[in-house]
Amino acid sequence: MSSRKQFIVQSVGAFGGLMAIDSIFARAARAAGNVSVPGSSAGRSLVVINLQGGNDGLNAVVPYGDPDYYRARPTIGIPVGEVLKLDGDIGLNPKLAGLKALYDRQRVAILQGVHYPDPNLSHFRSSEIWQTAAPDRYLTTGWAGRYLDDAKLPGQDLFRGVAIGPVLPKVMVADKTDVPAIADLKGFRFGGARDEQSRADAILDGAGSKYSFDSPYLQLVQEVAHDARAASLQLPHLVSGYKPAVAYPKTPFAQGLNLISAIVNADLGTKVFYVGLGSFDTHVGQRGRQDALLEQLAGGLNAFYDDLAAHRSDDRVLCMTFSEFGRRVGENANRGTDHGTAAPMFLIGGGAKGGIYGDHPSLTDLNFGNLKWHTDFRSVYATVCERWLAVSSEAVLGASFPILNFV
Amino acid sequence: MSSNNAPAGPSAQRRPAGHLDVRTALRPYRGAWNAGLAAHLLRRAGFGGSPQEIGRAAAAGMDAAVDSLLRFSVTSLPDAPEGDFSFSAAMPQQRRAAVIAAQLWWLNRLLLSPNPLQEKMVYFWANHFTSAIGGGVTPAMMVQQYGLFRRYALGDYSQLTHEISKDPAMLVYLNGAQNHNGRPNENYARELMELFTMGIGNYSEEDVRQSARAFTGYTVRRLDGSAHYEARLHDDGDKTFLNRSGRFSGDDIVDIIMQQPATGRYMATKFLRAFVYDDPEPELVDAVASLFRTNYDVGTLLDTLLRSDVFYSARAYRALIKSPLDLAIGALKSVGAAAVGPAVDGALVRMGQTVMYPPNVAGWPGGSQWMSQSTLLARLNFLNGLVYYKPTGSAAASATSMDSMPKGRHAGMVSGIADPLTWIAGARIDDPGDVAEHVLRSTLQDDATPQQRSTLLGYLQTDAVGNLVALNAENIDEKVRGAAALAFAMPAYQLM
Repeated sequence: MSSRKQFIVQSVGAFGGLMAIDSIFARAARAAGNVSVPGSSAGRSLVVINLQGGNDGLNAVVPYGDPDYYRARPTIGIPVGEVLKLDGDIGLNPKLAGLKALYDRQRVAILQGVHYPDPNLSHFRSSEIWQTAAPDRYLTTGWAGRYLDDAKLPGQDLFRGVAIGPVLPKVMVADKTDVPAIADLKGFRFGGARDEQSRADAILDGAGSKYSFDSPYLQLVQEVAHDARAASLQLPHLVSGYKPAVAYPKTPFAQGLNLISAIVNADLGTKVFYVGLGSFDTHVGQRGRQDALLEQLAGGLNAFYDDLAAHRSDDRVLCMTFSEFGRRVGENANRGTDHGTAAPMFLIGGGAKGGIYGDHPSLTDLNFGNLKWHTDFRSVYATVCERWLAVSSEAVLGASFPILNFV
Repeated sequence: MSSNNAPAGPSAQRRPAGHLDVRTALRPYRGAWNAGLAAHLLRRAGFGGSPQEIGRAAAAGMDAAVDSLLRFSVTSLPDAPEGDFSFSAAMPQQRRAAVIAAQLWWLNRLLLSPNPLQEKMVYFWANHFTSAIGGGVTPAMMVQQYGLFRRYALGDYSQLTHEISKDPAMLVYLNGAQNHNGRPNENYARELMELFTMGIGNYSEEDVRQSARAFTGYTVRRLDGSAHYEARLHDDGDKTFLNRSGRFSGDDIVDIIMQQPATGRYMATKFLRAFVYDDPEPELVDAVASLFRTNYDVGTLLDTLLRSDVFYSARAYRALIKSPLDLAIGALKSVGAAAVGPAVDGALVRMGQTVMYPPNVAGWPGGSQWMSQSTLLARLNFLNGLVYYKPTGSAAASATSMDSMPKGRHAGMVSGIADPLTWIAGARIDDPGDVAEHVLRSTLQDDATPQQRSTLLGYLQTDAVGNLVALNAENIDEKVRGAAALAFAMPAYQLM
């Protein structure tokens, strides 16, 4: 917590000064950061996309060339004629047309068969494992949070990481970095205030003043209050120069990407964004629900990269999807699927080298009806750390993992 | 917090500093009793109280105050939303209205029930045995399920677990209604063990598969939302579950689960988190678990907890972050609100808690998860809305009728500080110190620091540019509202 405390001391009672300092920093970052420098992560950012609830990999990246797929999925299998074919065996769900368009421009890497040892079939624990990058331990911080803590980023910035949504996800929880969770720009402000300065002082709480009680959460509330006030005062000004170049779909996911684009193009030095989409927990009636969500995913990403390209930022933003698990190979009696294991990940834009990586896992050599994984998800994270964010992956992940070549 | 050598506890939870004496923790509290502890009791065992309610609990003494919380009286509040809230029509607007009617029905019960602990337990059970509207779960099913929770508010947890396994909303939410002989759906069986009873790590994947077969046989009629057992849909074969074998039914599975020590410990942790503090010590969990496991009677458990040393200890005081529901209903009680309107419903969404829509089957995780920059701003903006509320002609209209809602900035708030002078009745309005004390007592039960008090006093004594001003009939309305806004914005108000 040390840097956060230091930050509070610096800026108490000096909102005017704070804004000036941060605006100067933002301008400096804008001057320095617009071009991707090889071997450096300046100007680059990562967007982590959580497909919440367990996205069925088999109906997203469809092994249409394998007859076992249709044997396992007699009612919910994607008919050959509907599959958006990538090669003779593999294709995409028809609702991923927006993603296919990006794939055709070599902007999408598809990593097959990704998961971790001894898969856990609980949504909560498995999602926590993906977000902490720790299948064998319980960690209090997320892997992106640890990256933000350790990356030696310039300046004291309120916006090193930004999560879209009302709740801070585990992946962005850090020790020293306060990541704002922003549901939407409009609601991210104080409304109806009549005594702004007094109110702010009260929220910030007198330094050196002692409470008559102790609480394990008091300091947290004070810090979040302070940062919320500072960030909400600054953010609208910092992004005010941005105008979207495309009409984003009206879905919350696409609107989240729109806000991310605004922040990217304001050059605030933000390194990691988070946005979620779901729920993919399709135990019943999978086709309708998963297809609708995949359409939101592809439609949002397509608009996002068109917009970034118009602002010449598409090469410096890498998106990475993850989900707590894929789903059971065989469909269940309710035209749905139960919790499974291995699934594909999508890496989009930025330095992603388009193509399909790794074999599709066998549909017959199974573990209790579940696919066997072959690529550890921490190898994917390690690659993103080393090749995109230009930091040592060992510091972030606590161990070293093979680097892949999709970036 | 340390990233690599962290304890195994969930990171959203923070345990109070200091040492627990487990030998005395559950003994009856015999220390001093005051308004601060009375307010603490009402926050934890209910949703806070008006200054008058806190005063009554303070005057009654601890035992009498707890007695009156544990003894429920008959209420005339409706058991379901008034009017048509059917969900069957394909009209999205009608469906939306039905959802809001169900949400507001319950929010108004939270505010108005003479039995606050009963509604607090409905909230507890709703966040434990989670279900959510959508995917076939209708508002009417949720209302019915909340009725079950109300009947079992202080009842037998074991029996409630039997009942919830056959509850229509639950059968739809966790796919029990699709779990049939030869075509098992594991969703309910898994979550029953992981989240409702024993906790993860106390059963195998094979136990999930076997118990899912035991729960087969139920359907839910879409027409009226009723649950039915059909023997032909039940798998009557042998199952092996937690090292026992037999032709088990779902009831047999629940009975076996209730014999597991893990169940007592899991539930003890949940009760301690809800009523005492987060991340409770294992020895405190064990002490509560051995008490609870004797008969799984929630009333007996809460009778002990709400009178205990540890409950009134400094370590438990303000040791929890208010959920949005605790914050909103508590604030509405503080300002003497008469009803909850649709604006509160929307504000709760922005605070991260949509009524009857928990984020997933694990419910709202609570603890530090409630505190993000976005949700804190939503909380402060909601409180500002109450403070600067001005009644309009139609504001006193029925709280739950969608047609008569007032329009404009505070539309649908229904209540807030309508008249500041009534709100601080008894204060000497020409004395800024007395006004400040009344405002602090009504909001924070005096838990402000000396510096915050002086900020508040300074605000009441000066104008916007720092000139001294006297409180008078012209500025008192504005000044009391501003002082209330300052008090509600103090960090301590986010804690319970």
